[in-house]
Amino acid sequence: MSDDTASALAKPATTATKREPWSAYALTWRVPLLIWQFLFFVVPLCFLIYLSFWLVKNYRMIPGFDVVNWVKMYSKGYFWDAYYLTFAMAALATVVTTIVAFPCAYALSFKVSETTRRWAVFFLIIPFFTSYLVRIYAWQVIIAENGVINGLLSYIGLGPFIMLNTKFGTLIGYMALCMPLVVILQTFSMANVDRNLIEAAHNLGCGRLRTVFTVIVPLAKVGLIIGAVFCFILSFGDFVSPYYLGGSRPPTLSILIIDTTKSGQQWPKSAVVAVTMIATLLVVAFAAVATAYRKPK
Amino acid sequence: MTAPLVEFESVVKRFGNFVAVEHLDLAIHKGEFVAIMGPSGCGKTTTLRMLAGLEQPSEGEIRLSGKRMNEVKPSERDTPLVWQTLALFPFLNVVKNVEFGLKMRGLDATARTAKAMEWLERLEIAEFSQRDISQLSGGQRQRVALARALVTEPEILLLDEPLSALDAHLVIRMQGVLTRLQRELGITFVYVTHSQSEAFAMADRVVIMSNGLVEQIGEPREIYREPVSRFVAEFVGRNNIVEGAVSHLSRGKVALTSDIGTLVASKPAKLQAAQGDRLSFVVSADVMSVSDAKPRSENVVQCELISEEFIGSVVTLFLEAGPGVELKAQIQQRDIEKIDTSPGAKLYLSWPSSNVHILPQPQKR
Repeated sequence: MSDDTASALAKPATTATKREPWSAYALTWRVPLLIWQFLFFVVPLCFLIYLSFWLVKNYRMIPGFDVVNWVKMYSKGYFWDAYYLTFAMAALATVVTTIVAFPCAYALSFKVSETTRRWAVFFLIIPFFTSYLVRIYAWQVIIAENGVINGLLSYIGLGPFIMLNTKFGTLIGYMALCMPLVVILQTFSMANVDRNLIEAAHNLGCGRLRTVFTVIVPLAKVGLIIGAVFCFILSFGDFVSPYYLGGSRPPTLSILIIDTTKSGQQWPKSAVVAVTMIATLLVVAFAAVATAYRKPK
Repeated sequence: MTAPLVEFESVVKRFGNFVAVEHLDLAIHKGEFVAIMGPSGCGKTTTLRMLAGLEQPSEGEIRLSGKRMNEVKPSERDTPLVWQTLALFPFLNVVKNVEFGLKMRGLDATARTAKAMEWLERLEIAEFSQRDISQLSGGQRQRVALARALVTEPEILLLDEPLSALDAHLVIRMQGVLTRLQRELGITFVYVTHSQSEAFAMADRVVIMSNGLVEQIGEPREIYREPVSRFVAEFVGRNNIVEGAVSHLSRGKVALTSDIGTLVASKPAKLQAAQGDRLSFVVSADVMSVSDAKPRSENVVQCELISEEFIGSVVTLFLEAGPGVELKAQIQQRDIEKIDTSPGAKLYLSWPSSNVHILPQPQKR
């Protein structure tokens, strides 16, 4: 056996860089992050969890430690209805957004010049200049029963379609929220794909469309999944779209939080919903990131 | 004589205003090992990419087994290429990489794995079949890339500087692997490189390109000893080129008056030159003799030693023969002890007239 193979056998993994985790220099860089995460993530989260065990008597919150809120909330049918609805709508928005964004990101990555790509990314950022709420109001006008779309459709004798205050309206809102971000993330991940690998695929007999799915998607996997995760997280927690475009009935979890809080200072019960949402998102995000970085078998 | 496997006929390739390949006529026969060599930007890689269909010729025709290929998509050709970067798929393990071409041809999973394993064994890397690409050394990746390209048993293999990223000792070993494979398989190799040692060690024929044009096509020995142009003489090997005016012509000899004195060369039969014509003499550095005392020889030049360069057992001496005229001499390490090699030492260079190659006069293009 050749000596290069022998040396690789002795040292199979890539060489790990040596780090000194407790040097003063490393700590200086890390401390701000640790302080920030502690103050604005760990502390509020602990408080939120604690709050979910408080009691409400005569419209007043009493600090305590009782599982009654959890038991009550988890035994309600409407809570689970809202949970499944939110999860399903966010998942649907994720799938639809990812699929709709892909051709756009593909074109921006491979079919346009560098300059066009930079301008396109700039234009994709522009929606964020305007408040999300304002954009959703605009969508109300567009999809209303006597709105822009139905107005146009009436010319060809179609409609009117009821889109406002339906699940379809919610979906439109989620997509308006996530689409630019997902396109940007997908574009960046695909633009970094090594062109040699695409040519190598063609060279080995892989046609153009097939190369998209057998080579480009696996190479851009991390970016595609991160884009989808962002879409899911944003949609799952959003309350504007289901409220203003979805008509808030049936409620999603975010609307359930609003309703619960409004009805008699039920902050602890809202905390139960919120903690459940955070737990769900953590599980989904970890699972997705693990999938993204999983080594090929 | 059977028809050539590959034919380039008046092929031109332009990128905007830049002409990458200016006018290429080249025929490559079945089973040949052809190296295309030249400095960067000479059009050698573009030539290879056109053959693989990754670039379309702007003019002319490329034929493979007599069939016009210009419009055939890269994925519909059987012209596998070994990339300089190797272009192995990082999301697939070794055996899946090798299987890729077979999978695209619709072979079923068992058949293609068996076939891929056969090639991995042939290239002595079967034990790494389940590894990630990132877990392999440079030499192993090289072998995977070769296996992946050869697994479909093509008639022709294209190689684009595949050894340029390897350590020197691995390059020599891979050269051995490549020549052996080529002989055993009997398929055509087209090998693009800027390295003279790679091209000369492996190829049956070498194509020297410069600025999109072919300078010379020939066997390595021919190119080394009988360059047809100043460019080839300078690009290949360690050649000394001396220009001068013909001062004397006789049966069998040409004398040249140059900046470093009168030099004599054997007159080739086909040389047509008159007294006063300007000619260039090419003397390879390895035919030079170096001595302290003035030797008896047809061509003797006194020089001053400037520097020396050791590469293993061979030493290259850089000498100045006159203002601005630098000559190179390659001698064996064991011979150097006989002479004074302190910088500035006065040495005599000599060479027999039979070892002088006369450059053909430049032709008008």
